Amino acid sequence: MAEFWQQVVAGLASGGIYASLALALVLIYRSTGVINFAQGEMATFATYLAWTFMHHGFSFWPAFFLTLVCAFAGGVAIERVVVRPVENRPVLTVVLVTIGLLVLINGLTSSIWGGAVRKFPSPFSTRPIHVAGVAFSIQDIGIIGVSLAAVLVLGAFFRFTKLGLALRAAAVNPGASRLVGVRVSWMLALGWGLASALGAVSGMMVAPVVFLDPNMMQGILLYAFAAAVLGGLDSPLGAVVGGLTLGVLLNLLGTYVSTLGGEMRLVAGLAVILAVLIVRPSGLLGKAAVRRV
Amino acid sequence: MSRPRHALRAAGVAALVVVAAVLPSFISDYHALEWATVGTYFIALLGLNVLTGYSGQISLGHGAFMAVGGYTSAILMAHHGVRDLWTIPLAGLVAGGAGLLFGLPALRLSGLYLALATFAVAVAFPALVKKFEHFTGGSMGLILNLPKAPGGLHLSSNDWLYYLSWGIGFALLGLGALVSRGRIGRSFRAIRDSEVAAASSGVSPAFYKTLAFGISAFYAGIGGSLVAIETAYVNPQTFPITLSLFLVVGVAVGGLGSLVGCIFGAALIEFLPTVAPDIARHAPSAIRDQVTPSVIQGLILVLVMLILPGGVAGLARLLENRALGPRFER
Amino acid sequence: MAMSRPLRIAAVVLAAAVAAAGAGAARQATPGVTSDSILLGGTAPLSGEASAGAGVAKGAEAYFKYVNDQGGVFGRKITYKYLDDGYEPQRTFLAMRQLVQQDGVFAMFNTLGTNNNVAIRSFLNQQDVPQLFVASGATTFGRDAKQYPWTIGYIPTYKAEAEVYARYILKTKPRAKIAVLYQDDEYGQDLVSGLQSGLGNKAKQIVKKVGYDPTSSDVKSEVAQLKASKANVFMIFAFGKFAIQAFIYANQLGWHPQIFVNDVASATSLMVLSPAKATEGAISIVFGKDPDLALWKSDKGMKLFGRIMKRYDPGDNPNGYHIAGMASAYTMVDALRKAGKNLTRKGVMNAATHLNEKGNPFVLPGIVVRTTPTFRYPVSQVKLQRWHKGHWVIFGPLLSAKP
Repeated sequence: MAEFWQQVVAGLASGGIYASLALALVLIYRSTGVINFAQGEMATFATYLAWTFMHHGFSFWPAFFLTLVCAFAGGVAIERVVVRPVENRPVLTVVLVTIGLLVLINGLTSSIWGGAVRKFPSPFSTRPIHVAGVAFSIQDIGIIGVSLAAVLVLGAFFRFTKLGLALRAAAVNPGASRLVGVRVSWMLALGWGLASALGAVSGMMVAPVVFLDPNMMQGILLYAFAAAVLGGLDSPLGAVVGGLTLGVLLNLLGTYVSTLGGEMRLVAGLAVILAVLIVRPSGLLGKAAVRRV
Repeated sequence: MSRPRHALRAAGVAALVVVAAVLPSFISDYHALEWATVGTYFIALLGLNVLTGYSGQISLGHGAFMAVGGYTSAILMAHHGVRDLWTIPLAGLVAGGAGLLFGLPALRLSGLYLALATFAVAVAFPALVKKFEHFTGGSMGLILNLPKAPGGLHLSSNDWLYYLSWGIGFALLGLGALVSRGRIGRSFRAIRDSEVAAASSGVSPAFYKTLAFGISAFYAGIGGSLVAIETAYVNPQTFPITLSLFLVVGVAVGGLGSLVGCIFGAALIEFLPTVAPDIARHAPSAIRDQVTPSVIQGLILVLVMLILPGGVAGLARLLENRALGPRFER
Repeated sequence: MAMSRPLRIAAVVLAAAVAAAGAGAARQATPGVTSDSILLGGTAPLSGEASAGAGVAKGAEAYFKYVNDQGGVFGRKITYKYLDDGYEPQRTFLAMRQLVQQDGVFAMFNTLGTNNNVAIRSFLNQQDVPQLFVASGATTFGRDAKQYPWTIGYIPTYKAEAEVYARYILKTKPRAKIAVLYQDDEYGQDLVSGLQSGLGNKAKQIVKKVGYDPTSSDVKSEVAQLKASKANVFMIFAFGKFAIQAFIYANQLGWHPQIFVNDVASATSLMVLSPAKATEGAISIVFGKDPDLALWKSDKGMKLFGRIMKRYDPGDNPNGYHIAGMASAYTMVDALRKAGKNLTRKGVMNAATHLNEKGNPFVLPGIVVRTTPTFRYPVSQVKLQRWHKGHWVIFGPLLSAKP
């Protein structure tokens, strides 16, 4: 039984990693209506920035917040420079721009910092804690905790602040928002900035566990997509639930279905998600899309 | 369509065919192979354009259907000794069947959910290939016989591959044009513009959306089969996830809904990775260390989408309208 | 194909003219070789997931430049043209065709990656183009000489490496219960099969083996499964950061087996990323000189390596990939010298399969790079090393790593 719980705990820890990036994906989907393929690369780039700050003598938290500011500014800048010109094109065009950004930012990260694997300090203790034969660390809980905190903050922001409301309005109905005085274009930029900052949080939480290299987020992005789709692309809580579910599901499949070793685990996980989508096309916690006729 | 416009386009396609037919005489043997590869991408893009450009469904996983075609050909050649040419239609049919099967569950999904579901298929495919090692050769892959022009045709193997892929490519272009002009194409467009309106005028969205998946996978399968024949080797990385993404980029670069435009998209996919290092070498020395081939590739991708949001076809339409005066869209 | 009649005639005439021009030109004796130059081709992942491996090509290139400045080989300067393949076999294939058919290289050298080399092997062998010193440890490049006479490997095979571990386990821990973590691809599977064949009838002492997906974020689940097997020997057949994670996570779970880590994942620069107590006592093999190891600080070969890198590849951070590339470039130059003044493809292949190279300065002292036409594993001697207090300590005699 201890092995079972160990797998669940390890799954939650991995799931926390998927969830943290999935949150950023959800945020950008909610506030701009696109999926951002460059989200992972933006997060990696920001994490390297944080690494550089620390390398130059900053301690963790100052570097952390400085990075958030940079990431926010970077996200806004990306929206202004490359997303804005295609703002009124079909969603597909914007998605393709983000694919271009994925290649571009990954190339920049590699050329600036090189391909070597680097260590990244953790804000949480990595000392193992043993409870009834199951080992975990404060770090594992920390990642999930930060993600949940982000959900709460985001929820409050969208629900209780004027800015959050304007952001939501701009994404759902740009025309009407404009009529009531919302500066739609800047709202989209704000959405990109926030998503970028959230991605940076994810990068800095994940890097101590998986180690920092230019491709750190590429695999994780796939799982984050899966987590976001599973939970519902427009639901922050769904992203976290989706991520944790995915983490535990994959571990249990890999451990107890012996023919599913290695890569088949992912295939099985994706099949489960596809099945969920067929029953609930907008994910577990997503709102059903209302189609305009 | 007005008469001069029609004549202009017919002349354009005819000129293309002629250029394609004589091109190998003017380029080196290696460039013939490069253009043969462009031909294989062209075929896959035609299919993807039927799906995305006509029926409005986004697929980020078409590399997987190419892989189905490629592996069908490879397995037939390696395990059953079938001659490469005969495997091509079979590869198309098997991939098309897979497309129909996938099209059914896809009916439930729309927009970006569908895009991500297809992406998941492309992500999962290599693992499936490894699982069925007995047929697919696992991660080592299948080694095939090198391609050779059939006896009687005095062509170098690269020229042979060139004519093979472009011959099939133009035939499928013609077929695609016929389909898109006919009843099926009209139904696709009706669904793309409004499913409810289409359904109320007697067009079944479920049937036609699934059919679009089948047709586009058939094209992708043939493209994949040609890739396998050309490289005489398939393995799980022959059709990587990046290929699926690049295919969508290719369709957009050519222009959604423009079949001929796919040629430009195909050329971009093939030449971007080889041109980027050359450009990077000419970067100013102050920033040369930062301007790597990947950076150039990314820059080009972003710039192309910004400068040509309607693709090459959009640009062509713009020029055409300027020359012949605007026309009423449908 | 629709082609008008006059056009077809024009095309035929033109083709004939081109062919005639080609036949008229003086035929070059050996492609890629002139009186003062040799053109070698290769591919490397200059972009993409495996771009760290580009060091293998860069190290080799730096060494050729150094040799050129010393006068070259029989007065011929070596140009090593390597193209980016992003580690995708499909692109390796097209790059190879460009190098062979467009640039007319003399031979392909030092191409990185198993699938990448398999992708180009048939064509090169059909065209009689040497495929020299493949940068992959897959057994097939040395084993299948009958079918592919123009191909030869270089580094010890992964299979032979795992057999070395197996023999060591049988000798020191005959009752070991072994758990294996491996990357679920041809590289990991090669290592697993070597371990099994090395253990022979003791192979059932492998109590659990778990493959991981190289696209996943971490290997926590896999290590937890292995720990539950209660094994006392843990084989890490992984790549890069997954190996470090495996060390750390085993330690976190309170599992302290004897750990073996495969060569590719054992670079000092990687090992130091893990807390010292997680890696203490781990065992690996070694055949090249590790630039991060203090032991080689005053070594002649290492000093030469440092000088060459500084002069010909400044701005790069010299690591194990560079020195591996340089070692095979050294052997390449050796083969070119042996092939003689009248350089032909057959000649260089003959030289590459009759190597008896003592004193390659970039591999461990004592290793003899030796081949025969039927034995095509140039580097097939290794030593064992143990991780102790933050660095590798080499121990024991030279061991045979023949597959």
